[in-house]
Amino acid sequence: MNALPLVCALREPGTVAAFGAEQWNMLIAMARAERLIGTLAVRIGDMPVPEAVRFVLADARLDAEREARQALWEADRAAVALKPLGLRVVLLKGTAYAAARLKAGEGRFIGDLDILVPRNAMAEVEKYLMAAGWEWVKADPYDDAYYRQWMHELPPMIHQERDRMIDVHHTILPLTARQTPDAGAMIADAISVTGGLYVLSPEDRICHAVAHLLADGDLAGGLRNLWDIYCLLGEVDAGALETRAGRHGLSRHVRQARRLADALYGEGRRRLTPWDRIVIARLLARDGWGRETRKGLRFAFYLRSHWLRMPPMMLARHLFTKWRKGHRPV
Amino acid sequence: MKHRITLSIGPATFRIGSAWPDPIRELKHLYADYPAPADDFADFTVRLEPAGALRRWLRPSIFITGDHGLADAAPMSLPHGLLAAEMGMNLQMALGWRRHLLLHASSVEKNGRVLVMTGESGSGKSTLAAQLGERGWRLMGDEFALLDLATGVVLPFPRLVSLKNRAIGVMAAEVPAERMGPLMAGTAKGDIRHMVPRAEAVARMDEGASPALLLFPRFGHAPDIRSVGHGETFMRLTQASTNYVALGEPGFTALTRFVKTVPAKAIDFPSGNEAIAMVERLWEQRA
Amino acid sequence: MVLLYHRPSGQTHMVISPVPEILAALKDSAPASAQILYERLSRLYDLGPADTALAEIEGHLVNMTALGLIRTAA
Repeated sequence: MNALPLVCALREPGTVAAFGAEQWNMLIAMARAERLIGTLAVRIGDMPVPEAVRFVLADARLDAEREARQALWEADRAAVALKPLGLRVVLLKGTAYAAARLKAGEGRFIGDLDILVPRNAMAEVEKYLMAAGWEWVKADPYDDAYYRQWMHELPPMIHQERDRMIDVHHTILPLTARQTPDAGAMIADAISVTGGLYVLSPEDRICHAVAHLLADGDLAGGLRNLWDIYCLLGEVDAGALETRAGRHGLSRHVRQARRLADALYGEGRRRLTPWDRIVIARLLARDGWGRETRKGLRFAFYLRSHWLRMPPMMLARHLFTKWRKGHRPV
Repeated sequence: MKHRITLSIGPATFRIGSAWPDPIRELKHLYADYPAPADDFADFTVRLEPAGALRRWLRPSIFITGDHGLADAAPMSLPHGLLAAEMGMNLQMALGWRRHLLLHASSVEKNGRVLVMTGESGSGKSTLAAQLGERGWRLMGDEFALLDLATGVVLPFPRLVSLKNRAIGVMAAEVPAERMGPLMAGTAKGDIRHMVPRAEAVARMDEGASPALLLFPRFGHAPDIRSVGHGETFMRLTQASTNYVALGEPGFTALTRFVKTVPAKAIDFPSGNEAIAMVERLWEQRA
Repeated sequence: MVLLYHRPSGQTHMVISPVPEILAALKDSAPASAQILYERLSRLYDLGPADTALAEIEGHLVNMTALGLIRTAA
């Protein structure tokens, strides 16, 4: 049992027409676990479904709409707080899709606010955000130093009153990763949306989503990230994307993302490599009760995510320090 | 999951899966007289999972999760499996229910009108509702009151009543033994036993009614009654609601309507019997 | 005491006079200075001495901006 029914339902919503009660139970549990239930509800739309199911899907759509409203408000508050700095505040991920009214934003559950700012402005950004009521989340000095020195973002901040998180990035991959995307170009070519906020260009959006999915992280939430990419690919010129990906050193990853998106959500005509198939197995590792399956495979990807982010010696030291503090990987 | 049960309570249906048979067996036994769910489709999934690789057999430890879960939830021992299942259902409702405004409150109905009682743990709202349920009132729920967003009607959610410590003895003396669940000693909140609501309360779990009185009870104080103003009532109810923020504007509209139309009083009482007398008097007076 | 549901943020606010009156005076959405608001409000209400009233209105505008109920025009 894996998440294939969810993937099929997103690709071709008509497949749910013949579902019985237990199939619906499994689909809903998987969709919730993968945070895709809002998207699924939008894809199913007005298709006839059992009444009890309709309530569940309607609730999911309302939740997604509310999250989008709150996310855009957070973005507005950040723009107001940073206005004196006069720099481009570029929205990333879900908030960006909502702000730019993209297909990828429809029904999407949005988590934290992610923004991209120039690296040399980080100290000022931190200062103005704190003046506007954001404060630190992580109190651990090791984690704090690790974030500042090696990651591509400030340690997470949370707003005192609204209790919402903000992640401030200065590039899209850790400084220690093997690829070095051109963050300056991303900011320079960003597109204005409302209220003094910007989003990445169509090609850069995909490069970011792909970097996030394949070059940084252990693929948790991967089905949703891949759906984002699939939607974004539908709105961009292939040649322009290829050129831009080359500029960021992400050609290989973008090509792989195309194959994966096509295999799961598209026509399924591209040939897959053995590595593609392993990634797909990891993406689909969810059962009809919403549980994570294939623990060995997940753990391997967890290790890989750290290996991607830092050189081997540093990795060993980092994992040792975390282990001593009592953190254990799932 | 190896063992499972589907339960319908009020407007919600739960699919509960467990790695162990005992919690499911206990649920089957205590919910035996509840109307069978229309089909197997559930609004929520609850999972009782081993809290670690070996914890299925070695000192079995239950991690409560499901569609909605809390990553830092403390695991529970297998003898408390029934409590774990009930907490699992609470968690899904509190975090995931959107079709009504949820108030952390007990509610009872008499002559087509509803009394809603809200307060923190230990305020006495659950015990008071259980006792009124044995004295001519219909118990609608001890944990959540569901407020219809369009009509302002309160709907029943009559789960097993969760009795703690002293309340166990009080109710065990009043109701037949077959309506009492197993004693679970030494939980985080002390001793707990569950009580099955009366057959009539269960049979009428789809019947709502409009609210007539809101009480803020406080057990263990000298007797006192005072009216509570709109502003304070609104604020206390937003704190008592797990989904007010998630509902957005319809939640705001429903709660302001409730506060404007339902009188609110804070009552302090030293004992259950005094509380019951106070409630009956206040109910008469409003008629 | 007035309860406000602020749609863009989903936040609920409990406010007292003159906040609701100031919001009503900003109804047409055109930017207005504290002075203009003072003039609009004094046509409807007795606000007392002009300089105290103006200072109070300015103070309220600062608080309301911090809450996100209003914003300064560019």
